Amino acid sequence: MTLLNVENLSVGYKTKKGLLKAVNDVSFSIEQGRSLGFVGESGCGKTTIGMTLMGLLPDNASILQGDIYFNDSNLSNFDDKQWRDFRGREISMIFQAAMNAMNPVIRVDEQIIEAIETHNPEKSKSEINEKVKNLFNLVDIPQDRLKDYPHQYSGGMKQRAIIAMALACNPKLIIADEPTTALDVIVQDQILKEMNKIQKELNTSVVFISHDIAVVADVCEDICVMYGGQIVEKGKREEVFKTPRHPYTKILLESYLSLDSDKNIKVPEIQKAPDLITFTGNCSFAASCNICSKKCKSHTPGWVNMSETHQAFCFEDALNKDNNDR
Amino acid sequence: MSQNQYIERFKKGWKIFIQNPLGKTGVTLLIIFMLMAISSFFIPLIDPMYDPMTGIDPLIKTSTGPSMQHFLGTDNVGRDLFAQLMEGAKIAFIVGLSSAFISIVLGTVIGMISGYAGGMTDIILMRTADIIMIMPSLVILLILASLFGQFNIWIIVFIIAIMRWPAVSRIIRSQTLSLKSRPFIEASKVAGASNLRIIFRHIMPNVLPLAFLYMTFRVTSAILVEAALSFLGFGDPSQVSWGMMLQWVWKSGHMFQAPYWMIPPGLCISLLTLSFYMLGRAMDEVLDPRLRKEEEGR
Amino acid sequence: MTDNEKNPIPVMELKGVSKEYCSKPSFFSRTSTCVIAMNNINLKIRKGEIFGLVGQSGSGKTTTGRLIVKLENPSKGIIKLNGEPVSDIEGKALKAYRSKVQMIFQDPYQSLNPYLSISETIIEPLIVNKIGDDLSREQKVIETLDVVGLSPGREYYNRYPHQLSGGQRQRVAIARAIVLDPEFIVADEPTSMLDATIAIQLFQLLKQIRKKYNMAFLFITHNLAAAKYLCDRIAVIHNGVIVETGSTNVVIKYPQHPYTKKLIETHPGFNF
Repeated sequence: MTLLNVENLSVGYKTKKGLLKAVNDVSFSIEQGRSLGFVGESGCGKTTIGMTLMGLLPDNASILQGDIYFNDSNLSNFDDKQWRDFRGREISMIFQAAMNAMNPVIRVDEQIIEAIETHNPEKSKSEINEKVKNLFNLVDIPQDRLKDYPHQYSGGMKQRAIIAMALACNPKLIIADEPTTALDVIVQDQILKEMNKIQKELNTSVVFISHDIAVVADVCEDICVMYGGQIVEKGKREEVFKTPRHPYTKILLESYLSLDSDKNIKVPEIQKAPDLITFTGNCSFAASCNICSKKCKSHTPGWVNMSETHQAFCFEDALNKDNNDR
Repeated sequence: MSQNQYIERFKKGWKIFIQNPLGKTGVTLLIIFMLMAISSFFIPLIDPMYDPMTGIDPLIKTSTGPSMQHFLGTDNVGRDLFAQLMEGAKIAFIVGLSSAFISIVLGTVIGMISGYAGGMTDIILMRTADIIMIMPSLVILLILASLFGQFNIWIIVFIIAIMRWPAVSRIIRSQTLSLKSRPFIEASKVAGASNLRIIFRHIMPNVLPLAFLYMTFRVTSAILVEAALSFLGFGDPSQVSWGMMLQWVWKSGHMFQAPYWMIPPGLCISLLTLSFYMLGRAMDEVLDPRLRKEEEGR
Repeated sequence: MTDNEKNPIPVMELKGVSKEYCSKPSFFSRTSTCVIAMNNINLKIRKGEIFGLVGQSGSGKTTTGRLIVKLENPSKGIIKLNGEPVSDIEGKALKAYRSKVQMIFQDPYQSLNPYLSISETIIEPLIVNKIGDDLSREQKVIETLDVVGLSPGREYYNRYPHQLSGGQRQRVAIARAIVLDPEFIVADEPTSMLDATIAIQLFQLLKQIRKKYNMAFLFITHNLAAAKYLCDRIAVIHNGVIVETGSTNVVIKYPQHPYTKKLIETHPGFNF
């Protein structure tokens, strides 16, 4: 069942120099229980998408076009009141600096109780307490730590508490924006395993945003690769990461160093992403693309299908040529 | 080539500054007063009768009200009040700006050295600053004046500056402390730069904007102190400042009979200090990006 | 082979180096509490070698770098440059040391003075060490800009940091570090704040520089894969202690210490 369907979404920021188009005609969908990862480098628009899906865009940003269908609602038309009701209950978010998102002078369990009470005023105290205990079990925080203050938790525990808070109201979708960036590699591994487990147990959908493609590959079954405000490739993780087609995805994967990487690989350089205020072209990667041709400047690329689930935003003949050359 | 950068920043700062209502008003007032100060050079040249100090109108023996020859009237000796007001503007600027400038220079250098060196140097300098700060400057000046007789205007300027540098140095010191541990300062250290070089080449450009901001506040206080001194009779008797004008109106017993004499200098003192204050507040917006109205998106 | 050729003197050596930060006893607590950042560290880095120091946050790796460039001094132990101890040097000797040992900082947005142009930043080490005259210094700066990939050097000469991207700023930081032709450079997580596609370019640049100038590097990182790509030998540091040292390939293929094994196990990889 399709939980979220985003169609032709564009989001812009008003700046002194003009309108900055951070998200440019983006479409994707998520089924209930599946996880979708957004990968890309700074400025590609992935965080803006996360904020849009939570109704947390700053004052100078707005949805320029497009629809966000979540079950029966169209989120692109929501006002503040509707968002306040919706947020936390249907969709919840785990932020980048989540460890600082907890109030340092309130005990951890009370913060989660507050989150539940806000959206479920009809529940009794014992019901809520029971729920909190279950949540902490789910994220593997020992029961005797429930009454501690945030500063008494380690970095990893704080993050797990944040995840528990995000799950408190049984949201259908969780948006995680770089949740493990500030954590050590060993703790990060624990958290990712935790997220995988929870997702399977509760059948929650996850939108996972990160610049670290290996982390996304760990958690997400489906991937969207973004560059300069556009999605350049989407598909199942095996498809995108094992057989990438878009030139940017290929470079992104080559740039990623793993423990098995070849010491002597040479990765071509890519130019800085286009200025999203003045950019009027069709393909944001054109300036750095090795298969860019005259067609790319005059025509808008389309979705080239490699399989039912795997697509790249380019021209078919260009992609075929690239494949043959390599 | 840092000139280019300064010009760029100045232009950007100016745009923000001039859009701020306080900035607009402040600059307008300031320009009016500057014109007054400049014109004080020319008035005696037009007609020596209008010299603020010595220009006595032979036809007038007492204080008179506004008339065609004397726009604001004359004082009790027959000198033109309007000319005196212009001259007062000149004195206010000179005193205000020079004293502010000296205290800023002193305060910035001491603040930077204190913040950067730390340790004993910091303690000694800051305790000295504390001691000077708690001394009531006006009272000290009065005591000194009564001990040494009337002061020359430049001595007054200098003493005001000496009393005022501590406040500047505290601010500059905190700024220096926060800059001290920034990576680009450490990078200079690693390159082998001497402490002196780091202070003047790296820290100073970063604290100068703040120093200029505080200069505007120093100007207002200097003008007020000079006015107070002159009013109390301890100013430089050879200079016609607004405070001096107020002293004369009071001394000659015309305080409540000659509003045309008393009000203009008092008004001018208030307006000039207000305009510098507005300048300072508008500068706040220029220097602190968080106060600006528009932000750029991510 | 002479004894010297069999066991060449390491360009940088740390012997029994420890660093602790202690709070002074005060009115409220009679005893001082100490945090041990580095505990009895021993390192030997050879000429022209890229040596990796791998550890997570709080492991003491950054402190090690700071002690080497003498931003701070060790509590115990000796640091030697080319066999000469440098613990108490001051004045001229310190300056001479500084011209041979340089650092590339982590944050490209904070390691350049915003008020100075690129050329002014890079020329500073030359001015401070009284090397050359105006003309030769300008030449050297332009040459160095070309070496770090900011070509043509003339074009970047008068630009300011805010006009450059993160990757370009870091190249300027590298230029500043190499302009004195140092023997040893500490690179403290130089790419952790940059995107992967930019980071890889900088790694390639560091390799080129090592090849061209035969400079030795201490590459400090939390990313084991980056260390593998760049380094000949690595040391794994945890809680201020070096738990394992050796040639990179060997350490990663046959880790001995449980902590090293854990690091390798949890390193994100495409495991699906």
